[in-house]
Amino acid sequence: MMKPFAHALALALALVAGTDAPVFAQGGPLRIDITQGVIEPMPIAVPQFVAETAGAQDMAAQLTRVIAADLVGTGLFREIPREAHISTISNFSAPVQYADWKAVNAQALVTGAVSTDASGRLIVKFRLHDVFSNGEMGEGLQFAGTTDGWRRMAHKVADQVYSRITGEGPYFDSRVVFVSEQGPKAQRQKRLAIMDYDGANVNYLTDSSSIVLAPRFSPTGDRVLYTSYESGFPRIYVMDVGSATRRPLADQPGTMSFAPRFGPDGNTVVYSVTEGGNTDLYSLNLASGQRGRLTSAPSIETAPSFSPDGSKIVFESDRSGSQQLYIMSASGGEPTRISFGDGRYGTPVWSPRGDMIAFTKQNKGRFHIGVMRVDGSEERLLTASFLDEGPTWSPNGRVIMFTRETQGENGAAALYSVDISGRNLKRVSIPAGGSDPAWSPLQR
Amino acid sequence: MKTGTYISGAGHTVLLLWAIFGGAFNSEPLPIENATDVSLISAEEFAALTAPQTAEDAEEVVPQPTEADTPQELDQALRPPELPVTPPQPEPEPEPEPEPAPQPEPEPVIPEVAAEAPDAPPSDTPTPEEAPRVAPEPVEAPPEDVEVAPERQEAADAEVPAEAPVQEEQQAAAPEAATTEIVTEAEEPASSIERSLRPMMRPNRPTPPPVETAEAEAPAEEEPPAETPAEEPEPAADPLAGALEGALAEALGGATSEPAPSRSAAPPLSAGEREGLRVSVQQCWVVDVGSQAANVTVVVGMNMNPDGTVDQGSINLVSASGGEGPAVETAYQAARRAILRCQRQGYPLPSEKYEQWKQIEMTFDPSQMRLR
Repeated sequence: MMKPFAHALALALALVAGTDAPVFAQGGPLRIDITQGVIEPMPIAVPQFVAETAGAQDMAAQLTRVIAADLVGTGLFREIPREAHISTISNFSAPVQYADWKAVNAQALVTGAVSTDASGRLIVKFRLHDVFSNGEMGEGLQFAGTTDGWRRMAHKVADQVYSRITGEGPYFDSRVVFVSEQGPKAQRQKRLAIMDYDGANVNYLTDSSSIVLAPRFSPTGDRVLYTSYESGFPRIYVMDVGSATRRPLADQPGTMSFAPRFGPDGNTVVYSVTEGGNTDLYSLNLASGQRGRLTSAPSIETAPSFSPDGSKIVFESDRSGSQQLYIMSASGGEPTRISFGDGRYGTPVWSPRGDMIAFTKQNKGRFHIGVMRVDGSEERLLTASFLDEGPTWSPNGRVIMFTRETQGENGAAALYSVDISGRNLKRVSIPAGGSDPAWSPLQR
Repeated sequence: MKTGTYISGAGHTVLLLWAIFGGAFNSEPLPIENATDVSLISAEEFAALTAPQTAEDAEEVVPQPTEADTPQELDQALRPPELPVTPPQPEPEPEPEPEPAPQPEPEPVIPEVAAEAPDAPPSDTPTPEEAPRVAPEPVEAPPEDVEVAPERQEAADAEVPAEAPVQEEQQAAAPEAATTEIVTEAEEPASSIERSLRPMMRPNRPTPPPVETAEAEAPAEEEPPAETPAEEPEPAADPLAGALEGALAEALGGATSEPAPSRSAAPPLSAGEREGLRVSVQQCWVVDVGSQAANVTVVVGMNMNPDGTVDQGSINLVSASGGEGPAVETAYQAARRAILRCQRQGYPLPSEKYEQWKQIEMTFDPSQMRLR
């Protein structure tokens, strides 16, 4: 009785097992799954921009160099040397010979022109070409500005190219405030300085008469919070970047305040106050002067950083016995620990995208810059050295800049940047040593 | 002391002897009896016994099929073999057990069934649970069969009217015995046919000749058992064909007719040929693992030219998942560049199989490359 049924069942199962794939494969288009690609910089051609007016030749050359340097500096592009170019761009409006660029394996082509108008304003226009599609990626754009601001215009063009190809937000047209360090370790002079993201145009905001620490940009990039010892003990100041004027934040007598950071509204500041050997977090409304206490634990709470929406704060605390990262509501309350790996975690910074938190990690005598999800998952260490610390996010949340200090008597601090993929680690070229970088928002 | 010892020794000896003899008598006779029984049974007797046993078995088997005397019942009886086979998945398993028996054996039993059909009634379906479920529907079942047939089986429509008298017979027999089985089967096919028909599909396609013959044989053999001859076999075959077509339509989204001709036109691509295409494209697929686009999986469709080159204008984004906005556009453009850049003089695809690859959909899934 059962045997025939078992045979029928076996036959049915065999048919079911072997049927679906062929049937579906036969219907409709051929389907191919591709799960492994390559990780390599995209070949891009940036022939020198066309000088459309007399005297714009040098400017065109400089602009083109900065644009190419921005793109190549990301690690995501590889510039095809001009010696390899088959075509030359002599007319911005002339049709592009895509075959010539395809022949040199350029996947993208940036063409542009530079001119000055009657008022002396600099005009830069560009087009981005998708070589293998024989067409443009997006529309051509034109920027106009003062001649002095030519680097910003180059960054603007590079930002457009970068964003159109990578889909990421722009970040080249941004600045970094940091602590410039000069002299031997024992007598190091520290000054607040500001520069373009790529290390160009360094300007000093303070003299070297007193120690300065941890500058932080406001959300609009027009002000900087920092800590100075000029009064003899740590105190927080807010400086207007344009005028370099500063004023101290109201503080409580007999306390030390430090580690300030703006909230996303630009009006709220969170910072640490040490009183009687205990350090806690406070918030201050710059407009009203109203102060609020966010934590009240016997442990050390410091290095607060707002989430982009201003609803939460991530900070470091040793309340569990070791230095770890915690997240709590921006109004205070019970914090939630998010770091659980080996070692000590500090200086957390919330990504502008809101999806990750960068931090410094000390473990087994080494320092690391790392990132993790806001829930503490997917922790990845991007760097490792004798001393890496103080990460800051690029405006698009794609790159992290930090301080790296070398070992020994002659050890010096320098600024480094790294892609959040852990690739493209490189030193930021600045005239002297530097530490405590803080990336500005994208300039307007 | 000694007297006591003697008394004790004598007593124990008596007890031991009593126990030994008592136990020996009890244990020995049993195996002996068995041995005698075995020896008594001879080959002749065994042969004699086997003959009647088969007859009894046949009788037992018969009753169940006989229950489905009415033509519709037979139709359903024919269906169940298909249904239980395919649906083995969920519920049907407990219920089909009584049914499976008639399925495989109908061929040998059937001739006998006709004569023994009246004897069948004693062996009704044991499970009372089915009856209550079926009971409400059986009354409706006959009309349902008529209605259902036109929907699923186009050919059956013409036959249905002819079966009108048959329906009367069912109504008479239904309340007591036949209803239980009939109704259950009627209910099952509705849900199971759709599921069960898929497996049936395959045999037809990959190996058309063997499968078709197999299917044709099954109904042909089953038809004679059905007392109402002409009507039953046809509906049985029709439902199969209709169900197969239905399953095809479901599986292929209504494009059942298209794939068949394409297949006939060209043999399928070999695994090596598919792999060659995949490798060619992935060599040019540049993934920015730190980007938002690395979270996006895109499916890109394209039409191919006979020379292996891509019809550039036909490249389109079929679907995307894992992101939105610029990330999706970037992921699509990266895939598009990979397809265009690596085609060079045309992808190495066999021209004789052009029908198989004139349309391609590539899924670019960076999840394995994503940062963790």
